[in-house]
Amino acid sequence: MNNNFENNMNETQFEDMRQQLNTLKKKLDAQEIVNDRLVRRSMRNEVNNITRRYYIIMAVSLLMIPYGYWCFVVLSHLSLAFWIGTSIFMLICGGATFYNCQKISDNDMMGRSLLEARKKVASAKKFEADWLKFGIPAVILWLSWFFYELYQNNSDATMEAFFWGGCIGAIIGAICGIKIHLKTQRQYQDIIDQIEDLTADQ
Amino acid sequence: MNALEKQFSQTVTEHKSTIYTVCYMFSQDADEVNDLFQEVLVNLWKGFEHFEHRSDIKTWIYRVALNTCISIDRKKKRAATDRLTMDINLFEDRDEDTKQVDMLHKRISKLQPFDRAIVLLWLENLSYEEIGQIVGITTKNVSVRLFRIREQLKQMSND
Repeated sequence: MNNNFENNMNETQFEDMRQQLNTLKKKLDAQEIVNDRLVRRSMRNEVNNITRRYYIIMAVSLLMIPYGYWCFVVLSHLSLAFWIGTSIFMLICGGATFYNCQKISDNDMMGRSLLEARKKVASAKKFEADWLKFGIPAVILWLSWFFYELYQNNSDATMEAFFWGGCIGAIIGAICGIKIHLKTQRQYQDIIDQIEDLTADQ
Repeated sequence: MNALEKQFSQTVTEHKSTIYTVCYMFSQDADEVNDLFQEVLVNLWKGFEHFEHRSDIKTWIYRVALNTCISIDRKKKRAATDRLTMDINLFEDRDEDTKQVDMLHKRISKLQPFDRAIVLLWLENLSYEEIGQIVGITTKNVSVRLFRIREQLKQMSND
């Protein structure tokens, strides 16, 4: 079956490589490598990082509903409509994260072909990047609404404190968001390049 | 241990060298091999119950091990891991056999991840068809890739 490559095998480099692999296998076969603790620990470790991540985001999104009521309505005297709007936005964020993580967290994902698994990862990265097209305008809209509500319902001194606090928070958030977005885009492009390179001759 | 856990433990023990070889070829040091090995075991266990024996168990193990090694985020800090039970260190030992193994590691680690996977599977004597099934490309494409890898390796040894 290995005809084409085998025909070129008179070059000793590749024979060497096979022999080196055999040497490695012999050395490994003489080792125990796997112990009981290691296997047991692997079987216990059912929740991976991705799953953990979407549980956390879902939990934060849900917690923001009662916390938002206390923070915005009780403490800052903002309107119920603003709290409802914020809660809907948080639920959409949580839902989108959950949907995206579902794509790459099924138990059999790693048992697929390398190409298929990479395509799934690329699709999740693309969704993450596309999400910002909705996320950034939504955050700008939310912040504008937030400041408007503050201006309507608070004194000038309180308003000023909230304004500067909000601005600093928004700038820090924007910097972090852009950094994460650029990193995700780079990873996405890298996966796409690998897939294109691999399938170029198909 | 229940029956499934026992079966898993036995499968891992039977294929320990295969799993270790893949992890070794995708690592820079013994700690990284340790982390990767453990991550592969976690992914194998997650899929073990759902494995339907449509393909050979070895093919499935290769898929999981290679997917894990290609996908893993190496910058992420990991929880303390249990050590592999080995009295050799392929990154530090200096005997003649280890030097040979190290030469192989150096050659393979210069390749891109997918090419690394393909050449490793070829070295393991898998047929083009089996390599194609694991990677997800056609048999013809495996042959083309291997030809390019060969040229690449030749070029590297000339440099």
